[in-house]
Amino acid sequence: MKSSKKTLNEERLGAIERRLIEIIANFGYLKGHSAKTAEVTAYIYIRQEVTQQLLRELTGYSLGTISAVLQDLEKAGVVNKYASPNARGYIYRLAGTPSQVLSRSLADFPAYLSQTSSFLEEVAAKLSKQSLSKKQGYSSLRRFLDEMNILIPAYEHVLQKFQATLLGAGKKRVGEIGEG
Amino acid sequence: MKASGSSGFDPEIRRIEQAIVEFFAKKTPEYTGRHPIVSAVMAYFYVRRSLTQQDLQKLTGFSAGAISKAVRQLVDMSMITREMIPGTHTHRYKMETLPFRSPSYFLQTEKTLEKLHMELQEMKDTLDAHGGDMLNLEGSQRVYTVVTQLLELISSVPRFMALIEEELHNFIKQENVKR
Repeated sequence: MKSSKKTLNEERLGAIERRLIEIIANFGYLKGHSAKTAEVTAYIYIRQEVTQQLLRELTGYSLGTISAVLQDLEKAGVVNKYASPNARGYIYRLAGTPSQVLSRSLADFPAYLSQTSSFLEEVAAKLSKQSLSKKQGYSSLRRFLDEMNILIPAYEHVLQKFQATLLGAGKKRVGEIGEG
Repeated sequence: MKASGSSGFDPEIRRIEQAIVEFFAKKTPEYTGRHPIVSAVMAYFYVRRSLTQQDLQKLTGFSAGAISKAVRQLVDMSMITREMIPGTHTHRYKMETLPFRSPSYFLQTEKTLEKLHMELQEMKDTLDAHGGDMLNLEGSQRVYTVVTQLLELISSVPRFMALIEEELHNFIKQENVKR
């Protein structure tokens, strides 16, 4: 009797974990990440420590795919890699809590805006050539540049105003136990 | 002068457009983790706003499969809408406004978040109800932590995004008045 009750709880927990993976992977997918990257990230978040072999067992993806996804995630500062004390290969962990990872990417956002702004200024300079204004496609490009000319300063303003709050949210979690 | 080539744009304009797409295809993944193909397709929509899958294949050189996957993801992300071209079996995809206009574009609708909140709350209730027995199971504490973190995120993020959106809207309004 006792063992069947335990099995029922194991099933409940397994179902909850599977559904959590779907929910978290879907967040990633809706942000434009590939479905595989989103799923691998979700497993790392839930399991906290994974190896490439474990990810292969959990996802069914090939080791090649897993390795490529992990490389991208490491490069993006989402996961960290550690040598395994027990076995060959590496252990992968989320590089902090989700809000820390998020606020780190937000800290990069002003640089992204600034680079985009500089680039679009160069584009506007090229487009200002008089001969282009009557050419096919000019109005589409012009419309895009004009809109970005409004939106980029607006985002810069908002980031300045809220950055302290956003970075504060990330730092707040540093002291939590077991949260990397 | 009519544009040559299949892109519909004058060649010089087309070169500038390509430079814009290459920029976003490279930078957006670096900063946001968004897939490069999705980023490139999105950039074409920023400029062109209305495209078929065939248009995108010609513009990007990506395979039909890659384009099909990318537009499906963009529709799922609510970045673009899809409608059938009357009298054909083809769809046209449209980006009505630039997604940056509203930062909550990447969030699911309020209704979906509400459903998600309910589902996560049910999970938490299940874990609480069987807590004693479940605590001994490997991973149960971690699952409980994740459920709690997600509940917190889903409660707080929409309010924060609403603040950001209001601030953006007010700033843009002020700037328009100045102009």
